[in-house]
Amino acid sequence: MSRATVEFRDFSFTYAGMKIPAVRGINFSVEEGSIALLAGASGSGKSTILRSINGLIPHIYPGEYKGDVFVDGQSVIETETFELARKIGFLFQNPENQIFMFTVERDVAFGLENLGYEPKEIKKKVEWALKLLGISDLAKRSPSELSDGQKQRVALAGSLVMDPKIIVLDEPTSLLDPKTAQEVVHLVEDLKRTLGLTVILVEHRLELVSAIADKIIILNKGEVFAEGKPDQILAKDNLHEAGLSIPPIIELQKRLGLVDSDAVAMDVDDFLQRFVQKWQL
Amino acid sequence: MMLSHGSEGGYELAHVLLEGLKFRYQRTIVHRLDPRVKLLLTLTLFVIALMSSNIYDEALTFTAILIPASLAKSIRRLLRLLVYSLAFSAFIFIINYIFTHSLFSSSIVTVRFLGIVASTSMFFMTTSPDEVEYVLRWFRLPRDFVFAFATSIRFVPVLMMDLTQIIDAQKSRGLELDKGGPIKRIRNLVPVLIPLVVNALVRSSELAEAMEARGYGATEKPTSMYSLKMTKVDYLAVAIILTAAALLLSLFLHVV
Repeated sequence: MSRATVEFRDFSFTYAGMKIPAVRGINFSVEEGSIALLAGASGSGKSTILRSINGLIPHIYPGEYKGDVFVDGQSVIETETFELARKIGFLFQNPENQIFMFTVERDVAFGLENLGYEPKEIKKKVEWALKLLGISDLAKRSPSELSDGQKQRVALAGSLVMDPKIIVLDEPTSLLDPKTAQEVVHLVEDLKRTLGLTVILVEHRLELVSAIADKIIILNKGEVFAEGKPDQILAKDNLHEAGLSIPPIIELQKRLGLVDSDAVAMDVDDFLQRFVQKWQL
Repeated sequence: MMLSHGSEGGYELAHVLLEGLKFRYQRTIVHRLDPRVKLLLTLTLFVIALMSSNIYDEALTFTAILIPASLAKSIRRLLRLLVYSLAFSAFIFIINYIFTHSLFSSSIVTVRFLGIVASTSMFFMTTSPDEVEYVLRWFRLPRDFVFAFATSIRFVPVLMMDLTQIIDAQKSRGLELDKGGPIKRIRNLVPVLIPLVVNALVRSSELAEAMEARGYGATEKPTSMYSLKMTKVDYLAVAIILTAAALLLSLFLHVV
């Protein structure tokens, strides 16, 4: 059995100056080399959970911290944010806000420069990351000339170049058109497979990413509302209580009475198979 | 980038000036020079422009500015920028005339101002923000200062885009920026500036988080993928710049 790379143990956090905890009693873990989907409505505590993984909570955002969060076996509260930065790659919602430099290659190099890598090694790693994400031809371009999808890839390259074990993506498709969003989702799946990364993905659009997730954790009002395998979670009838809409393919199965033993088909092929079996076509 | 449909004069002027100063890479000998050499060239032209005190000096100064501008294939951009600086030049001329009552000295000061604008613009036209950052690092300025400077330049187009969207959004809700007297026009800007500042604050907060996530401040001495290296051409350029500067200044000061 693979070990937990990220683990929340009875974790609660109240931001300084606030009376109500942003999250409370959080217990879940993400296994090494898996994709975990973190979903929930606005204000459900997703951002707090993400900040707790990369150490911004409690190192940058003060407040009342209870319980423990472990990343790769190390307690976040006892680890500096830059040490966590070596282990965790972070992709924010808006890639524009995490591209600092004037050329793509220099931006990808930014993290390595901060960690004090030798120039030769930086060049080698930057070339590798650009090639991995298929953006070698953009190396000398200015970020302001790129499309949103390209910016997303540059930001991802800037995270992956630091050779993280875990990659956290905060609604990476929210600003993208459907086709580019789908490409990013496939890219994430490929990266997980080829690099053996642990992926934590925050996303509202369950239909887009639930098929690639190994686990879904649904947050509601600062608590874990549901946790489990995607087909089990999506078969539940109460997702709307957490402010989430059910993916159309799941809704269709529910209406056709194809949901049995708390499991649903996650993709069209699986759905058709169930459909044929059910109606003996 | 357009500011908005039927943008007001002030925004358009700011936009043109920003576009005029924007770096555009061209395969010219000036663009390829080491940024420190370009800075030396700019400072030299700046001093020459400042020291010019008669019509012959001014003519020599502008010749000295136009030679590198021509090599950088930037003469047209430079002239366009100078045309847009004419309004401010006229203001300088009038103020000078009020105090000196001399058409000649007011004209010299005004042309000197245009020389200063042209010489400093040359630097920004031919030096990428990336190179500017390397120069600042080379001067061993504090890392936080250099990073703040570089980031503020990097985000100019982003903030301009925000501004465009906010103006368009507010106009679609009936805001008329160009209506009323000067006071009213300033007050009209409030619904544009408030969301712009709020956006910038939200953006800066996310930026700070992204910096932390990429190890900013992890080490006292961060490294750099590239470093500045002078070539033979750069040394030759330094020699030409210094010789030309010495010659011009001695002419200005009537040493020869």
